[in-house]
Amino acid sequence: MGWDQPARDSLFRLAKGLKVGENHLRDLMDWLEEIALRDQSTIEEILAGKPITDIESDPRLGRADKLKRVKEELRRLRFPRLAQMEDSIRARIQELKLHPEIRLTVPPGLEGGKLRVELSAANPEGLKRLTGKLAEAADTNTVREIFALLAGEAVESRPKSDHFFRG
Amino acid sequence: MQLFQPEEVIVERGSEASPIYRNLRNRLPLIPFRTVDAVSTENGRTDFSASTFGAAKKRLFLTRHKGEFLKKCPGSDGQICCNYFVINFASNCPMDCSYCYLQEYLADNPELKVFSNVDDLLTEAEELLTNHRRFFFRIGTGEITDSLALDPYIGFAREVVPFFAEQPNVLLELKTKSDCVEGLLVLDPKDRVVVSWSMNPQRVIDLDEHGTASLSERLLAARRCQDAGYRLGFHFDPIVEYSNWEGDYEDMVDQTFCSVDWRRIAWLSMGVLRDTPSLKRIIRDRFPRTQLLTGEQVLCPDGKLRYFQPMRVDIYRKMLCWIRRAAPTVKVYLCMESKEVWEQVFGFAPICEKELGNQMAPSL
Repeated sequence: MGWDQPARDSLFRLAKGLKVGENHLRDLMDWLEEIALRDQSTIEEILAGKPITDIESDPRLGRADKLKRVKEELRRLRFPRLAQMEDSIRARIQELKLHPEIRLTVPPGLEGGKLRVELSAANPEGLKRLTGKLAEAADTNTVREIFALLAGEAVESRPKSDHFFRG
Repeated sequence: MQLFQPEEVIVERGSEASPIYRNLRNRLPLIPFRTVDAVSTENGRTDFSASTFGAAKKRLFLTRHKGEFLKKCPGSDGQICCNYFVINFASNCPMDCSYCYLQEYLADNPELKVFSNVDDLLTEAEELLTNHRRFFFRIGTGEITDSLALDPYIGFAREVVPFFAEQPNVLLELKTKSDCVEGLLVLDPKDRVVVSWSMNPQRVIDLDEHGTASLSERLLAARRCQDAGYRLGFHFDPIVEYSNWEGDYEDMVDQTFCSVDWRRIAWLSMGVLRDTPSLKRIIRDRFPRTQLLTGEQVLCPDGKLRYFQPMRVDIYRKMLCWIRRAAPTVKVYLCMESKEVWEQVFGFAPICEKELGNQMAPSL
């Protein structure tokens, strides 16, 4: 892949420390290359960045957790606007403060533009109660904003900026 | 545009009687010609490599096509398609766009080939069109090649346009990134031929559409074709997202509609950059510095990588707004997109490919 020695050494150090398997390694290598190309930086600079080194040096995290977090951090670096949009949707879902038995999720990559709803009910009354809560939530601006984001529409900025596409 | 010139033309024995051969001989007097018994023995290559694909474009093979010329466009799983047919009169393309899917599709068969048996092609087309006069067909020639980039040498347009011009139930589309339209200007298309251009801002052309005509050359060629009686098409595809893409694409759309009479445009299409994980590896090998691979593309259900959905819906909406500002009623469609994206962009989606295909025909 044309990686120079410092890049290989950086990745090797990370991969050895976290015992990264082949599939994860492939993803990490692709993302690192693409981030470096996009940002005109180097792979060793990316891996030496604070977000990655903080995770690596956190004594509270086991190896598997570290790998998961490093990968997520690199994914967010690689797909910044997608990550920001996912965060924004997730924040709005949390704002709804729905019952734990109502689960709202969006598909990977936001493909399909749909919100997935899962209800866990033990009896008809429970189901009726949950669907009632869901119906109330559907009437809120927050849910309208979630669908607007999924549909690629500009949405009012929140304190943590989520103004992706200027209309 | 710098015209492509092969280093050598390799002719399969039996193709010498073809008008394509005569045209090649007349127009490439200084290029060596070699006759062989079978083109397949000349390939001399077993494994694809990045350098092989590029090298394969330097020689031109003239050979008989042994299969069917005419087939349905393959489209993409689960996406709305436009009921298009394709004629493959050649295989591979003398140009070298970084994102070209032929790098993957023709990886095992990259030789630049032109098929000599045009008469078989026309016989097949005639059979389809005369046996199904109650159906309207859109047939394109640019699926696995550029429709016009080789025309200065092979004179394909002169062999086929007069035939299609006389058919009442067809539109022939010649899709190109070249400005090689001289051969068309002396022919009368009788409203049966659409010449269309794949379009991108000059910045994208410079970085990733190697060997193609510039934006202004394409637009000048379009104008010349329109003045000669051809209908036009434009394919804003692939749309590449980058910092300040809006400014560049808006300018390109404006330039397009300043250059031609939009009322005689048959159709416009839009499609964002698409690739597959394996094509991405090929692109990375052949064009390691291209920025195309740094976009926020995700894997979609049909196995293709595209910008994530909200981003591409935003792109399409903006493009549509600029198009409509200049050409309020021109037919616009999306290439290889899902029903959901259609609905988000247009507010509706065609029920099926036949509906979309039928919507194109009445554009005449």
